[in-house]
Amino acid sequence: MMNGAVVGASTDGLSIPRKGDEAVKPTLIRNLKRDRTYFLLLAPVLLYYVLFKYVPMFGIIVSFKDYNLFAGVWKSDWVGLKYYKMFFQNPDAYDIIKNTFVLGIYKVVFGFPAPIILALLLNELRWKAYKRFVQTVSYLPHFLSAVVASGIIIMLLSPSTGWINHVIQSFGFEPVNFLQQASWFRTVYISSEIWQEIGWGSIIYLAALTSIDPQLYEAARMDGASRWKQTLHVTLPGIAPAIVILFILQIGKILEFGFDKVYLLSNAATYETSDIIATYVYRMGIIQGNFSYATAIDLFMGIIGLVFVYSANQVSRRLGETSLW
Amino acid sequence: MKKKTTGKSAAGVLVASALTAAMLAGCSGNNNNNAGASSSAAASPSASASASGSASASASPSAALPEPAKISIFTEYSTAWPPQADWGVWKWVKEETNITVEQKTSTTTVPSEALALAVSSGDMADVMSVFPGDVQKFGSQGAFLDLSKHMDKMPNVKAYLDSHPVIKMRVTQPDGKILNIINDGAGAGNQLVWFYREDIFDKNGLTPPKTWDELYETSKKLKQLYPDSYPLVFRHGLGTLSIFAPSFGILPELQKDKTTGKMTYGPLSPNYKTMIEYLNKFYKEGLFPPDWLSMDYKAWTQFMATNKSFISVQYIGQIETMNNQLTEGRLKFMAPPLGAGDKAYLPQGGYEDYGFSVASNTKNLDAALRYLDYIYSEKGRDIQSWGKEGETYTIVDGKRKLNDVYKESNDLRRVSGILSAGTYGWFDFEAPLSLIKESEREAYVESPKYQFPVTSTLPILSKEETDSISTQIDAIYKYYSTSISKFIMGETPLTEWDNFIKELDKYGLQKVLQTYQVALDRQTAAQ
Repeated sequence: MMNGAVVGASTDGLSIPRKGDEAVKPTLIRNLKRDRTYFLLLAPVLLYYVLFKYVPMFGIIVSFKDYNLFAGVWKSDWVGLKYYKMFFQNPDAYDIIKNTFVLGIYKVVFGFPAPIILALLLNELRWKAYKRFVQTVSYLPHFLSAVVASGIIIMLLSPSTGWINHVIQSFGFEPVNFLQQASWFRTVYISSEIWQEIGWGSIIYLAALTSIDPQLYEAARMDGASRWKQTLHVTLPGIAPAIVILFILQIGKILEFGFDKVYLLSNAATYETSDIIATYVYRMGIIQGNFSYATAIDLFMGIIGLVFVYSANQVSRRLGETSLW
Repeated sequence: MKKKTTGKSAAGVLVASALTAAMLAGCSGNNNNNAGASSSAAASPSASASASGSASASASPSAALPEPAKISIFTEYSTAWPPQADWGVWKWVKEETNITVEQKTSTTTVPSEALALAVSSGDMADVMSVFPGDVQKFGSQGAFLDLSKHMDKMPNVKAYLDSHPVIKMRVTQPDGKILNIINDGAGAGNQLVWFYREDIFDKNGLTPPKTWDELYETSKKLKQLYPDSYPLVFRHGLGTLSIFAPSFGILPELQKDKTTGKMTYGPLSPNYKTMIEYLNKFYKEGLFPPDWLSMDYKAWTQFMATNKSFISVQYIGQIETMNNQLTEGRLKFMAPPLGAGDKAYLPQGGYEDYGFSVASNTKNLDAALRYLDYIYSEKGRDIQSWGKEGETYTIVDGKRKLNDVYKESNDLRRVSGILSAGTYGWFDFEAPLSLIKESEREAYVESPKYQFPVTSTLPILSKEETDSISTQIDAIYKYYSTSISKFIMGETPLTEWDNFIKELDKYGLQKVLQTYQVALDRQTAAQ
């Protein structure tokens, strides 16, 4: 009802200019007034971003200061790039950055296509009840907290009591010490991520799939296209814009990990592949209390993330029409 | 209790309770003195009786109790004994000091994280339970009050520190400030010990191993007898090395060398390598579970309760806890097996890390100091450990007997808050010990005989010193723990050991040692 009123008002303004209106140009205030309902609807989201995403950015400043928790941000002394230099002089820095990138790239390479494949497979299912069942089962792990998920994984993978190793042994192989071999860490982590997120991630693609015009399939069938050909030439192009947008967003998150799961699944034997920026920042910032140092590292990683999104977006703009901005 | 009373009648109640308190204190003291103070438990009440004797002289009239005051105390939150406002410990504080305590618990499972939030928001409790690490982190930033300037108001704290020189040393900052006080008395429960399945050993004619060679042989025999088993089990991952190492005459970390008096690093000792060689052998032959790095308490109890493991190292109280869970068989304390050196030791137990700090911006300074002075006094120690006669215990044959509602030491915490963080400063461990079954007392009697003389507590660094080595500390720890776990699991052959030692320097070990050496020298000079 309110929307109707606003729309009415604006068309009124256009169609029947009242006396004195000619002089008034669409200024900011005028726009605000005209679209107040939309702005009102937008306000909570805007407020959320300002409060939880922009205001905390002010804290970046501590990475250039010798932050004293008690004195507060303003009264702490400036130290310039001291903490940035400190990070790069650390013999571990290279390994930590490398681990973060490798894990992030694996996440994109293996984790990104997984929900697309699931969505395409679900799309081919004709038995509705079974489809719904599969969907529900595949969403569920998304709602497990990292602590619970890691607990399950650690129990399942245990070489002495875990089921997976019982299965491996029943086929006559030696049990594998999955969680205590650095070479297994990435496989375990990425697989568990896929297990947890595949169902949730497929929701957007399933939504995109419903928007494909059925006539296209009909036309394809008329031309004698098989199911596979239909998928390739109708379905995939149909959801391509969604894929591209999500891919760009994913690239931006390449260095973002749920810290808790990496932390919980790693141990001394796997540090050489499992120690990433997030776990390092936790040890330096929270455990050792060096907040400035931890902020500096995180900010540095944030900038790299931004560069990634920007480049991915540029590439996408050159190649096609879909892009974030 | 919770009823709000008017000023007049509240005063009346207080006078009455003060009188009862003084009378009770007098009674219990007399009883014990008459009994002749045979047990060591009786020593503290008699001491407190003399202390309360002078106190009760002034305590009897209504002027005895100071002005009513209110303070907040920050503590951890334990799900096993969730804090209650009507806990006896807080009631007794009120009765003795006229201070109403509001307990503020940690909102996260890691108290240090909640503390960081409190400090940074300036919303600190008046008194806070803190670990030395918290003091190192936040103390240099001015969050905590320098207690050394207020010792005139806390004669009991001063006396406590003077009679505990090691604790005094551990709390004195490089610049002479005292930002925290560390508790004492309840550390006996932190003792880590060895134990074994007596029945399984008896059944197979085995004797408890006296050396690591025997430990190896015994474990191998057990593995042959029970092929599904992992005879030795431990649950603290690499941290377990700090329990093993004293039986090789070393500590796995930074420490003061017994002979040279200089700072050194455990792995540099040849005995350390011997220990890793043993563990490598154990691992190769499946004598401890292959997932030793990722085991938690639940996994550990499974191994113990399902007859899959027969020898273990754990906190001392776990012997009784597990014995209560075992349907058959019995766990028994085992003397530490000798790995290298002349005597096998257990890691030093008996000391505590938890203690108190006062917020530098407290608005209730006098009451906060009075609280500390009370809990570190002889009388406060007695009441906060035992409660009050007639209320929590009775005297039977001249000895104190806690009421039947307390069946095990956790009941003390759960029901009355006794032994929970923030409620005591100086604890009388005889109280929880009196609840331990006669059959389970052996470990508590035996373990003090094997105390490793080297402490794992380190000299205090200044803020500049801490900052200068913080990346090195982390890098060394990471390199050390990765390398050691690979040596134990045979992924790196032990022939690479010398390389490992050499690499440590690359991560700045020498700088760390030098920094701690400076701190150690400063501490020695101050004494």
